Amino acid sequence: MFWITVMNYVAWFIFVFISVVWILTLLQNRDNMQNSKPRLRKLPFVSILIPAYNEGKNIENTIKSMFSLNYPKRLLEVIIINDGSTDNTRSVATRLKKKYNFKLLNNPKNRGKAYSLNRGLKVAKGEYIACMDADSIVEADIIKKMLPYFKDPQVASVTPSLKVWKKENFLEKMQHAEYILNIFLRKMLSFIDSIHVTPGVFSIYRKNVLREIGGFDENNLTEDMEIALKIHDAGYKIENEMDAISYTLCPQKWKDLFKQRIRWYRGALGNYRKYRHMIFNKEYGNLGLFFLPANILAVASIIVIFMSLTMNYVGTFITSLWRGHLIDWDLTLMLNSFDFNNFITALFSTPLMLGIVGLFVGGYVLYISFNLAEGGIKEHKPTYIVYLLLFPLVMMLFWILAFVYEVVGMKKKW
Amino acid sequence: MARKPSQKKKLDVKILLSALIISAILFLSGIFIGYSINEQNLGSIENNIQSVTRTLENFQLQFLFFDVLGENATCPLLTETLSEINKESYDIGSKLTITGSESEIKDYNEYITLKKEYSRLLVSYWLLSNKFNNVCEQNVDTVIYFFSKDCVTCDDQGFVLTYLKGKFDEKLLIFALDADLDEPSLLVLKNYFNVTEFPTMIINNDKYEGFHSKDEIINILTKGES
Repeated sequence: MFWITVMNYVAWFIFVFISVVWILTLLQNRDNMQNSKPRLRKLPFVSILIPAYNEGKNIENTIKSMFSLNYPKRLLEVIIINDGSTDNTRSVATRLKKKYNFKLLNNPKNRGKAYSLNRGLKVAKGEYIACMDADSIVEADIIKKMLPYFKDPQVASVTPSLKVWKKENFLEKMQHAEYILNIFLRKMLSFIDSIHVTPGVFSIYRKNVLREIGGFDENNLTEDMEIALKIHDAGYKIENEMDAISYTLCPQKWKDLFKQRIRWYRGALGNYRKYRHMIFNKEYGNLGLFFLPANILAVASIIVIFMSLTMNYVGTFITSLWRGHLIDWDLTLMLNSFDFNNFITALFSTPLMLGIVGLFVGGYVLYISFNLAEGGIKEHKPTYIVYLLLFPLVMMLFWILAFVYEVVGMKKKW
Repeated sequence: MARKPSQKKKLDVKILLSALIISAILFLSGIFIGYSINEQNLGSIENNIQSVTRTLENFQLQFLFFDVLGENATCPLLTETLSEINKESYDIGSKLTITGSESEIKDYNEYITLKKEYSRLLVSYWLLSNKFNNVCEQNVDTVIYFFSKDCVTCDDQGFVLTYLKGKFDEKLLIFALDADLDEPSLLVLKNYFNVTEFPTMIINNDKYEGFHSKDEIINILTKGES
């Protein structure tokens, strides 16, 4: 029991520490948040790669969005890579091809997103490569807002803000809150040069660098995290533009969310392993000494706490239930012995006090996120509160399952 | 794969250190608040114990009336006081258990002191209720329950006793004594009944060693009555 207590405190400390880092980073960079970006004197050529696997329903919106970008058409090239879809993606794309001017590559069979991106990368003419998921759309001025960051030759990639496109049911609203939080976090990560994921929705890359580092890893569950770590590994930087906004469809059903998160988190675990030489390595600055270790410690403590609590409390719970047989399952008397006053006394203990402090700090970070990315919290109040209290627990559970799957070595499925 | 970055990455020592200090302060204040609330809890238990001790003294005093006022006047008075003590001491017991299990950073010495004080109280409570049974010819069953930390079936036994307490309420008095405590009055009882293994129950002055199911205990109790 003693070590569980210690682990609990460690987890709490990491969580609050990370939150405070974000708040301090924001304070330090307040002036850099809204500064006017330099205008580009000469617009470069940009290639947009859209890998699509069974996106027949969504791809039309994505293509429309690409052709309503506020960027000269002669400097824009759209390449759709149909990754052996078994639905009508190919026929939809072929039909749209008559109306819009894009390249369509077809993989004879399903080869994965990274393979498709690499295939597009080979033929892309642009100086910059934007990768785009086929279930997403962007705001028209997104390229012009993102490109100025590439003036710094060390910048290899720029990420946009990612929002939930349709937020109708409970699950989508929860994910919306999460995405809003991530918009803020990604900006803070950019200030400390530690962005560890370049999302598949309209992250722009410098083509030379992509080719220099060998493109996307085709055997990775989360190639968007892998490429970001690889960029850092090669000594380049990743930037973020909060005002460049993209929208993506997110899972509407628990089952799909579950699948997505297991893939993400297993991918993350795999990539931590792959890039373990960066962890606690001061050559990699904030990323190596702070963000990666903090992330891994947080995940580790979640797993340890969860498992020990399960063994302890669930164990106790089951034995208490089992004890029922000693009194012929006379439940009314069992319930009678529950004393409400004592229950309240038990609640006001040290862990609860720490919990309140932690909730306050975390809630403040989420509050800032809503202010920055959604212009306030007013219409999102219920989402905000429920997300704060409930969703982290669900995510925790997903992390644990991903860890278990990774350890047991279940077959990796994209 | 492990190539060195061509340019050294940014490291914000200032932010990281300040964050470390701020979160340490938050951590310590959380601990401090939790600790003071704990202290208060223990303080309130202490008050409860004192209040029960006063009631016990009162009980003793009421015994003195016996010689003057006789059985008819004194016994109803004693019965009332006894049931008051019964409820209060039971509350203290559960409060102590909960404070002990929930608060991780408890003031250990103070907690042990309280537990000792509580067991002293239970012992004198037991003595007085025996006297009450004799004097007023009442059939209140008493069970002393000796438990220990390293005992496997003690949790089960405690569970059964809690159940019986709920069932018989004031007709059954249970004195749960933590045999691990180094408390003189408790040691006297332990030696007197020659308690060597756990759980051991003293049901109406007879010793029963090992786990006893609810039916066994009910049997023992009803046998005594007939």
